[in-house]
Amino acid sequence: MEKRVTFSNTWLAVALILPQILLVFVFFYWPAGEALYWAFTLERAFGGGNQWVGLYNFTSVLSDPKYLASVRVSMLFAVCATTLSLGIALLLALFVDRRLAGYQVYKFTFFLPYALAAPAVGLAFRFIFAPDAGFFSAINDFFPGLWNPAFDGTDALVLIIIAQAWSMVGYNFIFFLAGLQSIPRSISEAGAMDGAGVLRRMWDLQLPLITPTLFFLIVINVTDSFVNSFGIVDITTGGGPARATDLMVYKIYNDGFQGKDYSLAAAQSIVLMLLIVALTFIQFRFVERRVHYS
Amino acid sequence: MIERTPILNAVTHAVLVISLLMLLLPLWIVIVAASHDFHTVNQVPMPLWPGGHLLENLAVAWDKGNFDRVVVNSFIVAGGVTAGKIGIAALSAFSIVYFRYRFRMLMFWLIFVTLMLPLEVRIVPTYAVAANALGPFQSILNFIGIEVSLPRWNLLNSYSGLILPLVATATGTFLYRQFFLTVPDELTEAAKMDGAGPLRFFFEILLPLSKNNMIALATIMFVWAWNQYLWPLLIITDHANYATATMQLQKVVPASHVDAPPVWNLAMAANLIVLVPPVLVTILLQRWFVRGLISTEK
Amino acid sequence: MVRIEAPETQGARLRKLAAGMIVGAAALGSVAAANAQERTKFEFWYGLPGQLGEVVDKHCELFNASQDKYEATCVGQGSYGKAEQNAIAAYRSNQSPTIVQIFDAGTVNFMLSGAIYPANQFAKDFGLTVDWADFFPGIASYFATSKGEMWSFPYNSSTAVFYWNKDQWAKIGKTKAPETWAELGSDLKALKEAGVECGFAFDFDTWLNLEQFAAINGIPFASLDNGYGGLGAELLINKAPFVEHMSLFKSWLDAGYAKIQTPQVGKTVVQAFADGSCASTHYSIALHGTVKSTQVAGLNWDVAMLPVLEAGKRANSIVGGASLWIMQGKSQAEYEAAAAFLKYVTAADTGQKFLSENTGYIPATKSGYDLLKSQGFYNDPARLNRDIAIASLSVAEPTALTRGIRLGNFTSIRAELRAELEAAFTGQKDMQTALNDAVDRANAILRRYEQTYQGAPLP
Repeated sequence: MEKRVTFSNTWLAVALILPQILLVFVFFYWPAGEALYWAFTLERAFGGGNQWVGLYNFTSVLSDPKYLASVRVSMLFAVCATTLSLGIALLLALFVDRRLAGYQVYKFTFFLPYALAAPAVGLAFRFIFAPDAGFFSAINDFFPGLWNPAFDGTDALVLIIIAQAWSMVGYNFIFFLAGLQSIPRSISEAGAMDGAGVLRRMWDLQLPLITPTLFFLIVINVTDSFVNSFGIVDITTGGGPARATDLMVYKIYNDGFQGKDYSLAAAQSIVLMLLIVALTFIQFRFVERRVHYS
Repeated sequence: MIERTPILNAVTHAVLVISLLMLLLPLWIVIVAASHDFHTVNQVPMPLWPGGHLLENLAVAWDKGNFDRVVVNSFIVAGGVTAGKIGIAALSAFSIVYFRYRFRMLMFWLIFVTLMLPLEVRIVPTYAVAANALGPFQSILNFIGIEVSLPRWNLLNSYSGLILPLVATATGTFLYRQFFLTVPDELTEAAKMDGAGPLRFFFEILLPLSKNNMIALATIMFVWAWNQYLWPLLIITDHANYATATMQLQKVVPASHVDAPPVWNLAMAANLIVLVPPVLVTILLQRWFVRGLISTEK
Repeated sequence: MVRIEAPETQGARLRKLAAGMIVGAAALGSVAAANAQERTKFEFWYGLPGQLGEVVDKHCELFNASQDKYEATCVGQGSYGKAEQNAIAAYRSNQSPTIVQIFDAGTVNFMLSGAIYPANQFAKDFGLTVDWADFFPGIASYFATSKGEMWSFPYNSSTAVFYWNKDQWAKIGKTKAPETWAELGSDLKALKEAGVECGFAFDFDTWLNLEQFAAINGIPFASLDNGYGGLGAELLINKAPFVEHMSLFKSWLDAGYAKIQTPQVGKTVVQAFADGSCASTHYSIALHGTVKSTQVAGLNWDVAMLPVLEAGKRANSIVGGASLWIMQGKSQAEYEAAAAFLKYVTAADTGQKFLSENTGYIPATKSGYDLLKSQGFYNDPARLNRDIAIASLSVAEPTALTRGIRLGNFTSIRAELRAELEAAFTGQKDMQTALNDAVDRANAILRRYEQTYQGAPLP
């Protein structure tokens, strides 16, 4: 996407972007570079020994059938959680934006889930989803044995998808609402004059105008469900049962952060990054074409 | 504008109320757990209605977490991160969208990729940078053979250490880019015609227009920074002076796989305490959401 | 004009406030400086969170109040895993604490690190008189090198015991806990017939299901003396005793005698036992007090040593918990302070008694235990029989097979074992296949570790 009208002061442009680049360089690229270099070595936890092993870490990761299964699960998780979360948040934002009675309350309560810290989420979900004693146990009253995320891999995957979608709804809602509120009332009014009903105006007028926000959120949600979902997994399923919810990033977290195998974690991180960069690139290439900027 | 849409209104209300209940269910459970005594909270199933110990638990948790002291730190840190991100991201997005220079897209992707590697993976070298933030530059100087020794800039146990590394991410830049792209070129043309330079255009036209997105971003970033747990725990050892509110959760939350008594009532009470300030900030910020003023229609 | 003035006055007020704060801070600072001159400070990082972390914090305060030469700054890291990770990160930037609390599974990393000051050497260098023989051998051996040298100080110790509901067992006319797993099996059958819905609760924890089982029955968990003999060890848990033992659990599950209880199911084994819904379980002694305080009213229960395979053939169980490590590269003064601290927190009265009174952990030395016994500590009805854990740990002199398990990256190995146990218990694989797979995967981890630490001899 390009602006037709731009400024031409290159020095200024560089000065404007410099603070961000400096921060990113010092606190991200420099350390990340070192961490990723370890993917080609066997790094000891405390340092002091560092053998170059070439692609050995990558071949051991990629030849592991359990790892490939984890890639599949991660993709499924990302697609489902993103769709669910964006769908719900968009619907809620459109409805709240109608400003019916009570919208002031909804405006911030829908955001609350995002503000809740991880330990609280863990306890709450354990309580809601437990097949014996939680809210979902009601399902088992009608269909005995249908819901059991502790033993059934599919149920466990459903659980973490719901949990991730739940935790991101507030985030998405805020941005959708900001986007919707930026649409001048005149546009909507003009639509109403032309006789378009509320739903038609949502579809024809409001949605196209917030596609830039939608695109932003799709990219952020997909990335987040690949990169930051280990917290959700850790507090709900612990990757189980039998690795059914062992997402790529959770495995990285376990191997690197818990197991102190920095090299294996680094190799997996590179694989994960390449995957997300590819996915993001595809989104910029093909999805952004349909984004309505101005 | 008056329209009669009774069925749609009913549906709207129904959807909003049901979603509200579902989204707030976990929060309800937290409140319930925070309002019982140790014995009751460990019953299975836990009661569905609050008990009478909420205030008592809050008081104990407040005391244990030393919250009257640490909340100030959290405000400084979350406020600093929010301000830093909003500002720096706006500048960099402006540079990327409104100027044309080589490596422009490379810069964007360089910033963007930072979303893709969690702190947990790069924790050891990131700590090293925090212990000496000028270290990378020193290494580069050494590498190209310039014998200058930079001073040591230690960020451990400092507000800068808590704030700066968290400012360095891409969400904001990307969001501003999305919004700037929707701003009609006519505005830029008009500004140029009036003889406004890029900075004046940025401050007087672009930023005011970005208000809603900026508020949304501020809300998210404040909460995000407020809830940071791993990084503060790592670099702050001087808890008396620099501990943040969320860090205090480790004092009350029983971890799994440890022989710890599950004192969930206090843990949840502490969570409620930690939750309140970001919620207040959110409510405050949301009041500034405004209807769009300019038409993006051509 | 007014509109311009207002912010200025506000600014002036702020400046005044700031100035006041600076003066105040300076005053505080000088007091602190005066203290600092007298006291040598050092840092101690611990992993225990929540209430247990608070006890550790209190321990530090007591130490600081007990003398005026040294001051321990105690920093909670939120979990064992984070304490280890953060200590490593800090060490690599020359910022490590003087003392750090590391859990059992991190022992081997620290032994191979070259980053620590071995406890026995440290004691010698800083005049710390430690009677190493006073530690219960079952505890000492877990943290000692293969030559029996102690490189860290045991701090909080526990072991696994059998929790059983006496009223339920009374229904089948028994007043004693089962001594063997086979006896437990027949008891469970009888309990079921007597109308008990769940006789035994278990989960997928490998420390309970496999590690303790191996030690108590003297079965090798891994080759090369459970890894004490070198990094070339291989796992042996796909051998008959393990497969049969886990299959026994599975048969109890299938017959409805036993239940799996995990947080994901809705309650942990401890909760299921404390609320009376399962008649027995096995778990760490450290939760003895928690069961007491969360149990339903009138639950009549006790603890016993874990069942064995063959009556009369019992070896010691293995310890769980953490020990204190001293890091390299600190100043002489800090080490002196650390020595005083270590002396204080490991002593029978100021250390072990304090810990035992405030947590479910057991004393690590004989003199600590004797002190508590002489004061009638275990006669308190709330703590009755808690010292069965000590009996279990010291039932016999540890052998090469029972002193502990020393495997590289044990955290990941446990995760692999756990995943395979889950696969077997949820019916995806038969037990033998699952444990074979577990061994294959664990051995791959061990080979990686061996290669990473090539040329670093395991002490």
